[in-house]
Amino acid sequence: MKLFRKSKYLLIFILFASFGLSAQDIPEPMVPYRLVNDFADIFSSAEELALEQKLRAYNDSTSTQIYVVSVTDLGGYPASDYAFRLGEKWEIGQKSKDNGAVILIKPKIGNSRGQAFIATGYGLEARINDAYAGRIVRNEMIPYFMDEDYFGGVNAAVDVMIARLSGEFNADDEEGEGGFPFFVVIIVLIITIVLLSIFSKGGDQHIGGGGHRTNSPPIFFPPMGGGRRSGGFGSGSGWSGGRTGGFGGGGGGRFGGGGAGGSW
Amino acid sequence: MRKISFVLLIVIGAMGLTGCQGYNRMVEKQEAVTSQWGNVQNAYQRRADLIPNLVNTVKGYAQHEQETFTQVTEARAKATQTTISPENLTTESLQEYQQAQDQLSRALGRLLLIQENYPELKANQNFLALQDELAGTENRISVERNRFNMSAQDYNAYIRKFPQVIYAKWFKFEPKAYFEATAEAQTAPQVQF
Repeated sequence: MKLFRKSKYLLIFILFASFGLSAQDIPEPMVPYRLVNDFADIFSSAEELALEQKLRAYNDSTSTQIYVVSVTDLGGYPASDYAFRLGEKWEIGQKSKDNGAVILIKPKIGNSRGQAFIATGYGLEARINDAYAGRIVRNEMIPYFMDEDYFGGVNAAVDVMIARLSGEFNADDEEGEGGFPFFVVIIVLIITIVLLSIFSKGGDQHIGGGGHRTNSPPIFFPPMGGGRRSGGFGSGSGWSGGRTGGFGGGGGGRFGGGGAGGSW
Repeated sequence: MRKISFVLLIVIGAMGLTGCQGYNRMVEKQEAVTSQWGNVQNAYQRRADLIPNLVNTVKGYAQHEQETFTQVTEARAKATQTTISPENLTTESLQEYQQAQDQLSRALGRLLLIQENYPELKANQNFLALQDELAGTENRISVERNRFNMSAQDYNAYIRKFPQVIYAKWFKFEPKAYFEATAEAQTAPQVQF
């Protein structure tokens, strides 16, 4: 009985481990970060630039991230699952707004069916519900895709999505949130300096002061952890801001499996 | 002698401290499982809410499929009746819950198969929209179930570790059951059979 129980846990572990493995099939975002990740090379460079500019401008003005991703192979996943996993992995959308979307296109290659899917982050589900996403795919994208006009279809879909989302988000709320981590970093810095000065004095007075050494970590670690987290978030946008002119990749948005798709 | 009792005091004090910390972490992790269970039930509820609409739309085109409609309605009633409170997430109760939901999945699969015989239904915009919503809901269910398994695993692993395993027994922190992957769980109902 006990052995059975153990083997059950092992089975569950293997299940989770295989989930972890399969998540690696999802590609990393292209670097430098961009909103149009054309892995399958379905756009000409002029088309890609036009889309990127449109989406980037929309991201800058509303903080809403609409990613266009094309792949040649879905790695055995259903399109819905692939788009969801990609959105989660790339953290598309802003943290706490979850205003990200993935337009996934697997072009028709040879005999395989073409597939398209729009996955919506939690924050977009209210405006672009699954039925609406499905309508966009069926009515805006697939008619173009059937003529192999991938740009036309995606462009039309993006226009409809932007029109549908107008007024829902704006970039200004972001400032308040962005200020907070910086504030924390300064406080952490001050605390660290104060603690360090106390610590070094204590060390002078009695060598090997075990009491001090064991005391300091609990006080030390929580602010360090907080600093690291906010630092990571801040540096994400700051770092790439310098390199790509304002686009820092996914902002920590989350997905819950919403969206719809179709095939042709 | 005094030194020994002093050391003992420190050891007991340290144990008490880690005990408090362990207890608090256990409570946090248990709460995470509880709230995730709420998300799972919400996702299933969302599906149950869609069904009357879907049945009505299909009824408009296919009056002769009365048997299928009854089956779906019955399975839906059973599935919405079967609920589990988060304190009672045992293997048996979860299995019962899952069985009720799987039965509904199968009935739904049969309902959606009807469309093959009714081309006008297939082209109905409302039906297409409901199908998209239903597929999205199935995705949400699988996402929430996965997340539930993750948080349950995190909690279960935590209460089985030393020293929490001792406190877990004292304060009756029971391990939570997992969702088991069934064929239905991996696929939307359209693709069954």
